[in-house]
Parts: sequence; C-alpha cells; structure tokens
Amino acid sequence: MTTFVTGTEVAILVALIVAAPLVAAVAVLAGLSRASPRTPAVAALGLAFLASNAIAWIMLTGGRSAWEFGDRLGGGAAVHIDGITAALLPCMTFIALAVALVAPRRFLDETATTRLLATAGGTFALFATAHPLLLVVLWILTAVPTWLATRDTPGGRPAARVFALALSSATACMLAGTVLMLLDPPWEPGCGWVGNTGGWLVALAVLVRDGIVPFHSWYPALFSGAPMSTAIVATVPQVGAYTAVRLLIGHADHGDGVALELVVLSQLALVTAVYGGALAVVQRDLRGLIGTLAFGQSALVLAGLAGKVPMELNGAFCVWISSGLTLAGVGLVAWALESRAGPLSLQTPQGRFRDSPTLAVLFLLFGLASIGLPGTLSFVADDLIVSGSLGDQLRSGGMVIAATVLSGIAIVRGWFMVFGGPAAVDGPRHRILPRERVALTGMLVPLFVLGLWPAPLVTALERAAEQLLGVTAEGDAAAHAGTPPEATIGGP
Amino acid sequence: MNAVATLMAFLTSAAAGGTAHSVVSLLVVTQLAAPLATLVAIGLPALLGRPLTERTTTRLVGGGFTTGFVAGLAMLAVLATRSFAPEVVHLGTWFGVGHHEATIDLVADGLSVPYVCFSTGLCALVNAFAGKYLHREPGFTRFFVLLALFGTGMNLMVLAGSIDVLFAGWEFVGISSTLLIGFFHERANAVKAALRAFVTYRICDVGLLTAGVLVHREVGSGDFQRLFTGTWPDATCLVPAATATAVSLLLVFAAMGKSAQVPFSNWLPRAMEGPTPSSAIFYGALSIHAGAYVLLRCEALLDAAPAARAVLVFVGVSTALHAAFVGRVQTDLKSLLAYASMTQAGIIFVEIGLGLRVVALVHIVSHAILRSLQILRSPSALHDRHELEAALGGHPGAGEWSLRQLLPRPLQRVLYQISLERGFEEMAVTRIVVGPLWRLLDRLAGMERRWVAWLAGEPPETLGGGPRR
Repeated sequence: MTTFVTGTEVAILVALIVAAPLVAAVAVLAGLSRASPRTPAVAALGLAFLASNAIAWIMLTGGRSAWEFGDRLGGGAAVHIDGITAALLPCMTFIALAVALVAPRRFLDETATTRLLATAGGTFALFATAHPLLLVVLWILTAVPTWLATRDTPGGRPAARVFALALSSATACMLAGTVLMLLDPPWEPGCGWVGNTGGWLVALAVLVRDGIVPFHSWYPALFSGAPMSTAIVATVPQVGAYTAVRLLIGHADHGDGVALELVVLSQLALVTAVYGGALAVVQRDLRGLIGTLAFGQSALVLAGLAGKVPMELNGAFCVWISSGLTLAGVGLVAWALESRAGPLSLQTPQGRFRDSPTLAVLFLLFGLASIGLPGTLSFVADDLIVSGSLGDQLRSGGMVIAATVLSGIAIVRGWFMVFGGPAAVDGPRHRILPRERVALTGMLVPLFVLGLWPAPLVTALERAAEQLLGVTAEGDAAAHAGTPPEATIGGP
Repeated sequence: MNAVATLMAFLTSAAAGGTAHSVVSLLVVTQLAAPLATLVAIGLPALLGRPLTERTTTRLVGGGFTTGFVAGLAMLAVLATRSFAPEVVHLGTWFGVGHHEATIDLVADGLSVPYVCFSTGLCALVNAFAGKYLHREPGFTRFFVLLALFGTGMNLMVLAGSIDVLFAGWEFVGISSTLLIGFFHERANAVKAALRAFVTYRICDVGLLTAGVLVHREVGSGDFQRLFTGTWPDATCLVPAATATAVSLLLVFAAMGKSAQVPFSNWLPRAMEGPTPSSAIFYGALSIHAGAYVLLRCEALLDAAPAARAVLVFVGVSTALHAAFVGRVQTDLKSLLAYASMTQAGIIFVEIGLGLRVVALVHIVSHAILRSLQILRSPSALHDRHELEAALGGHPGAGEWSLRQLLPRPLQRVLYQISLERGFEEMAVTRIVVGPLWRLLDRLAGMERRWVAWLAGEPPETLGGGPRR
C-alpha cells in the first residue's frame, strides 16, 4: 500500500501537522470561531494527531528510511522526516490534544488557546526539521508564547523572569554555536577550534534547554508559576534533546566514535536524573514535585543519547515517549485536581481520594508508569537504557536504578499526600468530566499497550537508531574519502 | 495480543501433540492468565466508572484463583509422574534489540509448582473470606483489584524462569502490598505505614535490580538456566564463586526488605493497618515469604557463596531474636502476630542459610497457613476473649509460669524496656540514616528555592505551589 506513497503526500501530511494548529490559532485569535475556543483547538490538534499517525504508518510499513524536502544546510534539510520524527510526532500531537481536552474551561480563553496552539504548531515544526538555522528560529518561536503565558498568569512573573533568563541564554548559545558549526563543520576533516567551540556552545544550549544540572532550576520554577498546559508543552517535548539528535549525533568523530559533548551531556544527565529524583522526594507541593520529576526523568533521554550502540539510543527514544506521556499525564491529572481544589500541598495528607477517586487512580497509574512499572513502556525503556549502558559502565546502570528508585518513592509519597488523609469536605464531590476521562484514559493506552507489546515500536526505533549511528560510520568513511556524509538520506 | 497468540499456539500444540511439555505449558499459562484476566475484568469497568457488583467481583476473583489452583494441582500431578524434572516454558520474546532479548520464560519444578498451588489456594480462600468481611466497604472493588494484582504478581514471581520475570512479579507484589496497607487512606497512620513499607521495599529493590544487572552482565541473559542447572533442590551453580557471591548478597539484601528482616523490619507491625484479609495473606502468608522464596529459587548460588550464607544466618538469627523479644511485649493482637511472623521468617532465613532447602519450604507453607488463619481469626478471637473474661471476671491464664521467670528480675526489666522500644532498631535507623538524609535533601531543596527566588528577584516565600488565583 505504502509503495504508492509519494513525497508530495508526505509533504502534505507534514504541512497539515504544522499548519492545522497555526490556522486554528489565527481563527481563534481573530474570533472566526463561534464555538468555544476548545472546539477548534481539539479539531486542529486531532487532525495533526491523525496526520502524524499516518506518517508513522508510512515510515513503519514503507521501505524508505527518510524523506527530505527543501534546502539543506549543514547536513540537515528544511523538512526531515525519519524514524525518530515518525515515532515522536504522534506522541507530541497526542499530548497537545490531551492538554486541549483536559484544560479547565475557565483557563481556556481565546488568548490561552492561541498561545497553546502556537507553541504546539512551532514544536511540531521543530520536530519535522533538521535544518540548523530553522531549529534556532523555532526555539525562539516556541519559547515566546510560553514566556507570555507565564508572565500573564497571576503570580507568574518570577517564573517568567527565570524562564526568560534561561531560554535567552540557551538561545544565544544555540545561535552562536550553530553559526560556528556551519562556518567550520566539526564533522569534516580538519575541523579547528571554531567548529569545536560551536559544538560545545550547542551542547551548552541543550543543557540549559533540557534543564540539566546545574541549569535545571527553570523547570520547577515554570511548573510552579505557569499554567500547567504551558509548562507541559514547553518541557515535555524536550526540544534540547531533539537538537542534540540533529546537531550532535553522527556529526563527530571524537574519542570512541561519540561526540565528547554528548558524553559530557550524558554524564551530567545521569547526575540530573538522580538529583531530580532525590529532590522530588522532599518537595512540599504538587507542582514542585512534578517540576523536579520532569527535569529528573527527562534527563534520562539525554543520558541515553551518548550511546555507542543502537540499544542505548533506542532506550533513550523509548524514555522520550514514555516520560513524555507519563509526565504529561501526571501534570494533567494534577491540573484537573487543582481546578477543583486549588493548590495542593504535600506537607500533610490532603484527603482528595473521596472527592476524585478516578483521578486518584489515574494519577497512580501515570505515576507508576513513569517509574518503570513492569508492563508499561517505561519498564522497556529503562531495561534498554540499563542494558545498553552495561557494556561500558556499571556505574551508569546503577545511576539509572537510583534515579528510578528515588522517583518511585517521590511519586508514591505524592500520591498518598494528595489523596490520603481525612476526606476534604469543601464542597460537592467532583466527578471526572467525560473529556478528561477520554484524554487521560487515552494516554494510558499507548503506555500499557506498548509496554505489553513493545516489539513494533522497539524495532522501528532500532532502525532509526541504527540509521543515526550508521550516519556516523558512513560519515567517517566519507570524511576519509573526502566526500560529504549523506549516505542514508533519500529525496522526494 | 502476543499473549493471545501464544495461548492459541499452546492450545493447538497441546491438542495436536498432547505431550507433557505442552500440557505443562498450557497449565502454566492458565496459572498466569486466570488472575490477570480477573484483574482486567474488574479493574477496567471500575476505571471507566462502571464498577461491577460485589457478588460478581468476588465470583470473578474467586473463579480466577480457583482456576489457577486447579491448574496448579494438575501441574503437580503431571510433574510428579516425571520426578519433578524442571519444565521450562518459553512464552516468547517480549522484545529484542541486537543481542539483547527480553524473553518470557517460566519454570515448573519441584519448588514453583507446590508453591503456586499453595499461594493460589490461599488467595482463593482469602477472597471468599474478604467478600463477606468487606461487604459494603467503600473500597470493595479496590481491594479485589489489588488482590488480583497481587495474585498475578505472586504467580509471575513464583513461576519465573528468569530474573527479569521475577522482578516484574516482585514489583506487583510490592505495589499491591503498599496500596493495601494504605487501604484505609483516611487514617493518617495507614498513610504513614504504607509509605514506610514502600520506601523499605524500594530501597531493597535496589538489590534485586542490581542483581539483575550483574546477571545480565556476567551471563548475557537473565535466565536462571544460565546461573544454575539441575532439579531443585539439587541444582548446581554454573557461575564463578565471585559472581555467585555478589548476586547472592544482593538477593539477600532484596529479600531482607520484603521479608522484614532486621534492620528493615519496622514496617511490618505497622502494615497491619490494612484490612484483616490482606494482612493475613500478605504478612501472615505470602508477601512476608517472598524474599525467602527468591532465596530458595536461587539456592544453588548460595552453595557457591558461603559468605552470603553466613550473612543470611546472621540476619535470620538477629531477626528471630529481635522479633521474639519485641513480640512478647506487644499489647495488640495484630502487632503480636506481625512479630510472630517476623520470628518465623527469621528462622526460615536461618534454615536457608544452613542449606536446609526442603525444611525451609515446608516451614514456609506450614507457617503461612497457620499465621493467615490466626490473623483472619484475630478480630473474632478478641471478641471471644472479651466474652470469656467477662464470664470469668478476670484474665484467663494470668499468673501462669513462663520461661522469663528463670531470668533475674533486673535483667527482666532491662529486656522489657529494650523490647518495648522495639530493640531501638527504628530509632537507630531514623537517627542515623533517614533523619540526616531527609535533612540534607530538604536543605538542598531549600537552597534550590532560594536560588530560583534570587534569579527571579523575589523573596523565596512568594514562589511555589502553583499560579495565584
């Protein structure tokens, strides 16, 4: 069936994924929609979700390893669809759709909806490109709505300030690093200090953008001060990790075949995972817990990206999907709870179980799915990362285990503190709304289905990982032969 | 989907070939599928807001466990005709990447099959008891979902043919245990007890996880067949002594948490905060012996690891003495029974340490049956006791001679005080480990808050908790 898929059709699907939320944003902002802002948002993000699944299906069943359109710069095309994009886009579109469905009615006004859709559209575009300068532009475009939404939230100005500080530094490093890398490409023979400096600046930008220690503080600040939708859409996709995949993997020949920048990123990410888990244990409020878990757990993605074997990369991609879905799930359940009960402290049991038993069960399931519960995707992901790192260092495996153990304690403590204790009597019982049930239960489905039957995903990601690492090998060979590295890329 | 395909393949091969292996495979799959099916059957409607009635719930769960029990008995009969030679059932490859394959291997042998019969049978009985005991309790469905999860985890753990599958079952047992301790979540004590148990489990899980990592690293797979060979209880170790010692010590560490051994024992008496049926099956019967089971499963490794055996005996003796003394001064029946369980678990550790494998297995089964009966009986026993006291006008048995009267009075007083303080175990763990660690992390979190506040140019107290309304 997919034999007949042409480049034009893939291009249309990509355009649909990016344009649908942006068109909906314009429509909502211009007041063209008579319905509630939620309706066009859900319709546009639903369309993007379907289109991204179509792309995933094409990549899974088709013979091509990648589709490229537009100009290429520094080895990356303006539109670049490969196995990683195909696996990550459905996850990101689904998370954005779930956010639009779960967002409380009083939050989702025209301005908030426009910002949500603009950030989502920008993020989808970012995940569909490998062009270095486009990456920089999209970094900026996705950060601006986040900053605006945080700044305009009551009590959100401090968080907006921290976010602006972090993101402006990261973007400056990213821009400078990209320019230096383009001037003196580190993946070509004879690369000098200019190219190497560029690589390190990009790595620094990734460190900040992904909240890796010691640049992690903006994560909990954003979760504490911004609307939950803004925090989720800004952090869960892991724009920094995607940038590392496009600009740092396969473009270096340091040491034993892995970019030194990536090795450093990976080691710091492991420390971040343990530190985030440890800090999460002692958090005093639910937002703080989710913020620390977010930077701790998502760090495991970067930890796996420095892998020399496809298995480790594969584990990182699986963590990317599983941590994205679980953190978004926990965040959305917390948001639904907050919309009923206000901010939730973890210092004393809040007694919310009787009020919202289904939300309690969902919080627990997402929480357990985020810490490697057997039968969920995160168990597979952790197994791949730990097994992948065994060949080299037992220490890395030990740190992943420590991070998982600490996060587990934090999640279960958080659950008991929010839902345990004498029943809070502050109004009528709040049943879960149908749209919340559909979105949250829907997010659980891939976590458990892919956990019980991970073979198709793991096989597809293995191919993508091999392709990435294969670029290195072929790139090396090409470099020695004096030709540019573009062996695995196919045009329309 | 994979499981259905596997089940169909088994059914076909069993019908066509009718070999003993196919029959055992089918029975093993039934053992796992029965409680899992009931878990889905009662859990899914509850999640979708349409919980089943009490009668349907208990019948489904009871049916699942009874099916598992009957399948276990049939498996026992088949294996008995083959002198309990181990049958490895390969359910398929979960996923594979490069040289790394996560396989689902189960083993039916002289250890796993009797144990699984006993555990599913006990679960079926407790299910019948709990159906009446928890009638109209708000968390009725929740209890049975967790019981089915526990049964699934227990069967997975007992029948595991690899350390990966064993870990999966081990986790399910731990999660269900934690949630059942916190079943009455409106009580602050239940919440604290559940958290205490979970933290202990989680810390000791590091042992099992690291053992798994080591095993994969040393033999390239988690399969027990690559660690030891032969028929239980006469299996022989296949790995070098150093590996066997390291893995054994890690397994002992993991087992200490689940089986409430000193210094990880203080969660057990508090775990009795849960409903009586779950206390009976978890802390009187199955969960408390999960660690001992894992050690029995990997007994061949202990043969090559005398250091681990010595540690096991030391831990077991310490626990048995500690629990025997502390149990004697308890003033409530469930705590008394918890310490009695702990004493026996300590003795079982000693037996395993001394290499008395069959004795340990018989001890586990007999102790579990007796203790679960005692715990299930405890609420009505108290009632009967009060009636008896009212009828007699005093405490029956008061003033009888006991062994402690042989000790000098000052020593009695000292021992009483030490026992009343639970051997200062909890105090030591709190003051030396938990307290300083908590303070350190809290201080770090405070520094983080101040750092963010400085970056934001705001005082720290204005940050956190979420957006203002």
